[in-house]
Amino acid sequence: MSTTSKAENTGGWALAVLLGVLAAGAATRAVAAVTATTGPADGATLVKTYCGACHLPDRQGTLARIGDERKTPEGWVMTIFRMQNLHGLQLPATARDTIVRYLADTRGLAPSEAAPARFALERRPNVPDLALPGDLQRMCARCHSAARIALERRDAADWLKNANWHLAEFPTIEYQEGARDRHWWREASTKVPAELGRLFPLHTAAWAAWQRHAPIDLAGRWLVRGDEPGRGTYWGTAEIRRTAADEYRTTYRLRFADGQALDGQSHAIVYTGYEWRGTATLGDRSTHEVFAASPGGRRLSGRWFLDDHAEIGADWDAVRAGRAPRIVLVSPRAIRAGTSTRVTIVGEHLGGRVDLGAGLRARVVHRGRTSLVLQVDAAAHAAPGYRTVRVGGANAADAVAVYDRVDRLDVTPAYAIARLGGGKIDPVAAQFAVDAIEEIPGPASKPQAVHLGALPVAWSIGPFDAQAAHDRDVDFAGRIDSRGRFLPAGAGPNPKRPFHADNTGNLEVIATLPPGAAGRPTAVVGKAHLVVTVQRWNTPPIY
Amino acid sequence: MNPKTLLRLALLLPAIAQAASAAPKKDYIVTGSKPDRLFLIDAAARRVVGDFKIPGAHDWVGTIVPSPDGRIAYVLVNRMESIAGIDLGTGKEVFRADLSSPGERVKCLFAFDVTPDGKQMLVYEVPVKLGLSEYQVEPTRFAVFDTNAGLHAKPVREFPAPRRVHTLLTDKNDRTFFALGFDLYEYDIATGKRLETRGIRHWDHPGHSRPDLLAFWPVSEPTGIFAAPIYSTRTPAAGHGAPVPVTSLMTLNLRTGALAYHDVEKTSALIFSTVLSPTEPAAFGAYTQLTKIGLDPYRVEKRVDLPHTYYAVLVSTDGKEVYTAGAMCDVTVFDADTLAEKANIRLPGCGDQSVTSPRLVRR
Ligand code: HEC
Ligand code: HEC
Repeated sequence: MSTTSKAENTGGWALAVLLGVLAAGAATRAVAAVTATTGPADGATLVKTYCGACHLPDRQGTLARIGDERKTPEGWVMTIFRMQNLHGLQLPATARDTIVRYLADTRGLAPSEAAPARFALERRPNVPDLALPGDLQRMCARCHSAARIALERRDAADWLKNANWHLAEFPTIEYQEGARDRHWWREASTKVPAELGRLFPLHTAAWAAWQRHAPIDLAGRWLVRGDEPGRGTYWGTAEIRRTAADEYRTTYRLRFADGQALDGQSHAIVYTGYEWRGTATLGDRSTHEVFAASPGGRRLSGRWFLDDHAEIGADWDAVRAGRAPRIVLVSPRAIRAGTSTRVTIVGEHLGGRVDLGAGLRARVVHRGRTSLVLQVDAAAHAAPGYRTVRVGGANAADAVAVYDRVDRLDVTPAYAIARLGGGKIDPVAAQFAVDAIEEIPGPASKPQAVHLGALPVAWSIGPFDAQAAHDRDVDFAGRIDSRGRFLPAGAGPNPKRPFHADNTGNLEVIATLPPGAAGRPTAVVGKAHLVVTVQRWNTPPIY
Repeated sequence: MNPKTLLRLALLLPAIAQAASAAPKKDYIVTGSKPDRLFLIDAAARRVVGDFKIPGAHDWVGTIVPSPDGRIAYVLVNRMESIAGIDLGTGKEVFRADLSSPGERVKCLFAFDVTPDGKQMLVYEVPVKLGLSEYQVEPTRFAVFDTNAGLHAKPVREFPAPRRVHTLLTDKNDRTFFALGFDLYEYDIATGKRLETRGIRHWDHPGHSRPDLLAFWPVSEPTGIFAAPIYSTRTPAAGHGAPVPVTSLMTLNLRTGALAYHDVEKTSALIFSTVLSPTEPAAFGAYTQLTKIGLDPYRVEKRVDLPHTYYAVLVSTDGKEVYTAGAMCDVTVFDADTLAEKANIRLPGCGDQSVTSPRLVRR
């Protein structure tokens, strides 16, 4: 049953967002100045100065607790924020930044350790959380994500201390729904730390190996491709310059498939040797970048998102420019049979013969340094399915698809949450996109789905069930725009609703492809489930 | 009324006789609100007659326990770390127990009570040791205070307690008390010995799942019987079909110790807390609706929407009025028979009541 409102926990997240200080120009210089003259040794000194009064050293000089944990830069930011917020630590922002860098560098996660929960660092909206085994999920991933836990490493003894802190700080934990059906503390103080110590231990081969890893220099020229849900594919180049140890400035020349420019600049710090965190301007937007460099330093991928709306952002994938011919992207990824389409192939050293496979005839319109623009005629009877694209010595398997009709629209995310806005808290939008699919006979005459990507659809909302229809949620909860972004209404009681209910709602999001575009007599419709719920009072860096 | 009902009533009504002999006394509602307020409301006059500030409340006014003579209200304040005794006539602080001490943070998780003779206070303590760089959960305990100890009360006795206790209720005999948690425990106040354990999670209620009970409202007035809603699922009799969520009523007679569970309905509305009528076989429950529960047989007799959520419900000593409170900043008066709204009393300052447990006192 329900918990009482007494069983609330406090969060109190102010804006201790990683790299927040870099946003302002003056602050940027201040940080750069500090970091230019300080290295890890200074980080160690600052930790002793600011943390040492409470965190006493052991015989080896390791500070209590601090030496017993490893976590992401965001994880360290959160911990240090709590030291300031609950324990009265006075820490200037510049010292904090140096300490976070030092701790993330010396007590971070190896790339393979962070990989499964990167979605949480990247603030990807509406992706399913990790599932912790057994009872851990119920015990520990009820208030925050399992990812928050999976992004830390400690031995059982320190996991136990963390459990102690939880119950000490939130004494109602063991009374809350989802906890009071069991001897919560008995489990939290025995089985849970033991299991976490096994799953996420302090000492690992991966971390030992990563610490021996040769440093990566990310400076150079990069080819970029990405996709912004609701906006489309973009591509271009990035020039990365190194400005200090693990600090970079980047110039972007990017554009969307429709030609609109997405140029910009970024200033980034690389933590733990591979965790790229940047503040950027892209077009007219201020963004954060959460990327990871591949261990070989040839790839940089992740997500960027708006400063003030992490739910709006885009995938990002950059590969270092090289000498060999290479195709990184074909746009659009689907060509309808019987049409003539402008197609861009993004890559490098794209000289030589162009071949898009059976039923497609390509004429080169323009050859650029990193792109090749083609006019492609698809024969009326070109067989639907994927094609391998070849340009001179470069090829890309299944890089483009031919279709003659659309059988299905998958709307992603299939389940989403949006939050009402009001007061000082912005609404949290939900961005939907479609993946159009044609089903063709595959091997062993099983149908094979050919993914055509986003096609232009009409967006609408409807009630998810009879209750939502009765309560007219569609009229109150918000609206969806022509690019598939749902914009929630305001929070608080609404006198127009029965019982002055708030504007929450249970909706169906509907994407419709008209008969003509779908190549069939009737429209094709795809649906997703959208829950419009109340505000969240805190926005920690890791949910 | 049939004879059977009358018989039940007679069993339910020890309080009525007492009330009748104390004619000049009146019903008052005691409630509290953020940030530090304690109110005394003349129920019949619908008037706030006492409006007091509790020292050191730190924006937190929780469980209220009146002294049995109705003179003092003991209030859990300071984010569960202090209990202040406020004289309801003068508003003066006459008792104070600050539970925490340097290096140890102690909270009382809503559960405390005063013995019927008014002399001893029992407090459920949840302590934590505050280390330099770590906090340590310590075993929970019961602490006994002398209510005459004044403003610097220290426990006169402590003894071990189970975790997750949410309500303490003193027995009418001054020697033992009940703790409600996983199960119902009865302890000897003098020795701290656990005398008896009876089922809550482990109730004996055939066909039902383990139930869920969370009561932060230690109200047993005016009947001397504590009542709380308790939730479970019931497997249909034939043994097939999905389990059905069921609301039951738990009653604990503080004088006799009699514990009973009765099914009320297939859960159709959430009820947060309940109170027993002193004059008819009925209970009243509050949350988003006010429910009148018949006890003969057990069933929902009437249900009306409340103007807003209320966590707590009280009933007048004559059984004629029901008061909903314990959320936002008002008390609403209902006719116990029709559940029609009769009056609304707004609290001065309009502070939030939602962690408090309003009580009915006779004085
Ligand atoms: C004023 C005392 C104080 C200072 C200064 C302080 N801490 Fe703490 N720290 C604590 C206490 C108390 C705890 C245990 C309670 C908790 O986890 O919040 C703690 C816990 C921690 C933990 C364990 C957290 C967990 O998730 O279990 C880490 C790591 C930590 N501190 C790091 C730091 C760092 C880094 C600094 C310096 C930038 C610092 N502390 C400064 C008092 C302090
Ligand atoms: C009642 C809700 C709740 C439950 C249950 C809960 N947590 Fe948390 N946890 C929190 C909150 C709130 C924070 C953030 C505290 C802060 O830094 O302000 C947190 C923070 C954390 C952190 C980050 C600590 C740091 O220093 O940044 C870890 C790791 C964590 N929890 C692990 C766990 C584990 C393991 C369990 C299961 C034993 C658990 N949590 C259960 C509420 C909860």
